[in-house]
Amino acid sequence: MKQTVHATNSSIDREIGGARPRSVIFKNCNVITYQVSEPPASQRSRYDASGPQGSMMPRPTGPLRRALHALTLALPFALPFLAAGIAPAQAEATRYPLTIENCGHRVTFDKAPSRIVSIGQTQTEVLYALGLGDRVVGTAVWFSPVAKRFEAVNAGVKRLADNDPSFEAVVGQEPDLVTAMFEWHVGPNGIVGKREQFTRLKVPAYVSPSDCVGKDNSGAGDGVRTQMFSMELVYRNIREFGQIFDISARAEALIAELKAREDKAVASIAGGGAKDVPVVVWFSSKDVKGDAFLAGKNGVPAYILAKLGARNIITTNEEWPLVGWETVAAANPAVIVVVKMDRRRFPADDIDLKLNFLTSDAVASRLDAVRAKRIVVMEVGATRAGLDTIDGIEALASGIKSFGLSK
Amino acid sequence: MSHAPLEPNWPARIAIALVALLALVTAVALAVTIGEMRIPLSIAFQALGNGLFDLGYPVSAIQQGVIFDYRLSRALMAALCGGTLALSGAILQALLRNPLAEPYVLGISAGASTGAVAVMILGFGGAVLTISGGAFIGAVVALLVVALLATGAGGSSDRVILAGVAGSQLFNAATATIVTTLANAEQARGVMFWLLGNFGGVRWPDVWVAAPVALICFGVCMLHAKVLDAFAFGADAAASLGVAVTRVRIVLFATTAVMTATMVSIVGTVGFVGLVIPHAARFLVGPAHARLLPACLVIGAIFMILADILSRILVPQQILPIGVVTALFGAPAFALILYRARRPS
Amino acid sequence: MTLAAHDVRWSAERRMIVDGVTLRAEPGRVLGLIGPNGSGKSSLLRLLCRLRKVESGVVTLDDRDLAAMTRRDLAKRLAFVEQQASTEVQLCVCDVVKLGRTPHRGALASWTAADEAAVEAALERVDMSERHDQLWHTLSGGERQRVHIARALAQEPRELILDEPTNHLDIQHQLSILALIRRLGVTCILALHDLNLASLFCDEIAVMHEGKVVASGAPPEVLTEGLIAHVFGVAVSIRAGASGRRHIEYLIDPPE
Repeated sequence: MKQTVHATNSSIDREIGGARPRSVIFKNCNVITYQVSEPPASQRSRYDASGPQGSMMPRPTGPLRRALHALTLALPFALPFLAAGIAPAQAEATRYPLTIENCGHRVTFDKAPSRIVSIGQTQTEVLYALGLGDRVVGTAVWFSPVAKRFEAVNAGVKRLADNDPSFEAVVGQEPDLVTAMFEWHVGPNGIVGKREQFTRLKVPAYVSPSDCVGKDNSGAGDGVRTQMFSMELVYRNIREFGQIFDISARAEALIAELKAREDKAVASIAGGGAKDVPVVVWFSSKDVKGDAFLAGKNGVPAYILAKLGARNIITTNEEWPLVGWETVAAANPAVIVVVKMDRRRFPADDIDLKLNFLTSDAVASRLDAVRAKRIVVMEVGATRAGLDTIDGIEALASGIKSFGLSK
Repeated sequence: MSHAPLEPNWPARIAIALVALLALVTAVALAVTIGEMRIPLSIAFQALGNGLFDLGYPVSAIQQGVIFDYRLSRALMAALCGGTLALSGAILQALLRNPLAEPYVLGISAGASTGAVAVMILGFGGAVLTISGGAFIGAVVALLVVALLATGAGGSSDRVILAGVAGSQLFNAATATIVTTLANAEQARGVMFWLLGNFGGVRWPDVWVAAPVALICFGVCMLHAKVLDAFAFGADAAASLGVAVTRVRIVLFATTAVMTATMVSIVGTVGFVGLVIPHAARFLVGPAHARLLPACLVIGAIFMILADILSRILVPQQILPIGVVTALFGAPAFALILYRARRPS
Repeated sequence: MTLAAHDVRWSAERRMIVDGVTLRAEPGRVLGLIGPNGSGKSSLLRLLCRLRKVESGVVTLDDRDLAAMTRRDLAKRLAFVEQQASTEVQLCVCDVVKLGRTPHRGALASWTAADEAAVEAALERVDMSERHDQLWHTLSGGERQRVHIARALAQEPRELILDEPTNHLDIQHQLSILALIRRLGVTCILALHDLNLASLFCDEIAVMHEGKVVASGAPPEVLTEGLIAHVFGVAVSIRAGASGRRHIEYLIDPPE
């Protein structure tokens, strides 16, 4: 199959949300045409921890530039191999009307939406990352300040609510797409609105696959994942945005960039020693001395652990089960991940209080992980399904590496 | 119930007291030896010896910490909490002449929730006031409001209950208002967690606060045991028997409020214990408060310890909220008691 | 040795319920208090045993102000039996009577022989000794009232105040309880509805009307046709009955 990608370095600059181009290779080329014979190896559907992934995005460092400079001379010969790693496949123009399957519903788009209301910080940030900030007319459900790189874009976007918006506030923006992070905002029991409420007004509703695929939201609370979260769901989210807005190229580029970071993090601790390291992820507690909310076996943090070959000491399905410190002591984790957040509703939200507990509590201070100071601080964004999950993978990988556990 | 002997039957009394003490000690021992971490019995006792009497056995620091700092303090707090809630329930049932009265009927748990939420979300008290402190203050304020409403409405038992209901509604509404208007989605769900009782965060300092409160209040209640019997036929009957009704009510309401507010501020609200245990105790030892109050203390303590053990081991790796366990076992127990105690027609 | 009220007044919700009542109970005698509903009988009785505080005037016991006595001392002298006192608690007869010993027992006092003797004696006097261990709830209305009276007697009072003790009882029990009260030998003040029973069983009668005592004295002097018509609004005819005692016959209009 013949694929055509038209790319200039300046357009890449714009389209990947103003970030520096990841690949220096494009600096010397204006137009590239590839011939691709099969989907590249990076289009895997399951991640496993067995060593380095196939593709690696080169980073702009000194010696690397020199190497790449040499590489450009060998470009015509190297291109097919580069294409296998770098070129996003299936980046084709969208044919409208487009129907996609979303959380068990079929959603149809007649054209690329231009007025988006985004309910959920991670969805909003994905839209910004895809350069669609100018089409977002309203946002809601924010957990923390917007990521630095999106501050400028976000400043020009109307914030409907910090928490849950009302149905009328959302439709009052006359959107032609409503996108939500959680099914409990837009879904069968959606507190902002049920899907039918939106479709009756001819507004398509899109819920992030990361909250409905392999997840049972019919009960109360955060829902239960029947299969482990995977970044593939976020990539699917991005890819589907690519289709919806007819920006598949940008979407694929973003996906490729994220995947490359994932792969690099995994590679950095490759070497066997990190395999099966018992790890626990501590989110918060009602009372810092009391039972803790730890990451369950199928959630986003569990995925981060699994991706890096670590073993989650918690084996229950719930997203954030309440667990006693005695259980943690019994499992004796080698690494303790502590989540840092701006929220201050439980006293234990404060990272300093959590760290202080670990060092001062009669039992916790005797844990191997605490005595050897194998504590990793992870930003709260990493515990949610979105762009920041990759940050979490990187943080934990660098932590594990620095503890020397991967040797 | 047969009539009391002329002289107090000291041998029988001592025997009963010893049996009760033994049961309590057994329950505590169970709580100390059962848990997620498998610790051999001998090590557990050695750890206890180290902690209590400084015996110096070679026990690993983690096991020592788990047995002594975690499990033992938690078991004792559960005992204190269960005992005082049952005691408060018995007293309120006598004073208000209502078999459904329980410790939170005076608005205490609603007030505690408002206090906790005020500290958590409104940031009351700056950094000085902990959530527990806020909860205690909230409980006391709610009690005063209820007392004001009750005396304004006449002060009879029915009015006190109605005032308690009104006060609870008022403070629950205050909590809901703060939570829905000022808290974001996660805070709102987080706050409700606090209210569910939980013994997980208990350490020795909490026990040092709760124990004296419990013991002093128990003493005050025992001093009023005969007076509580006199309330059987109402406030007027009690007054005609020489009871200073108003003074006794103030003292006993305040005592139960202090006990309950202390427990709520340390471990949250635990339902069913204050309602059911007095009935169970009455079924076992009869209605005379000189026997009922100590029985409530012991039975409530044992019940709560056992409930806490279950909350730790029923679901592997997870802790169930204690209120769920007490309701799970308390509700059928209550139904059974009601059935067995149905009056002959 | 008497309980007396001197010009006592008491109001509730801005209505004067007891309006300047002066009254005296003779030692060892039965004083009956009669009057229509709302005349203030119950309130007066409660004032007499200090269940309510007088607004003006004074109630004296042996010429000492009632309000100056401690509650416990008062309860050892004076006992009160309500019209109908009930409880949810599963008490037996002896438990109920034992409550009467409350003013005699301190907070930590144990049960003494004197207490036991008082309870036994009280049950004996109301003729309920054999029901010692029976559950209170299984008693009939009349039996329950007797147990309440026993409880009052266990206080070893010298004055006994009863508020319509026979209201809801059948006639046999009404008569037996009133006869019992007469036999007790303590000073009694009791409120009654039935005029005939009052005149049969009371040594003296005080008639209350709209918060005031409009007549007091021996039944033949107080219960006159005129007074009854004025206070109760019914026409009566009073003459000697079959046993020779005065009988009050209510005159109702003959059917057309």
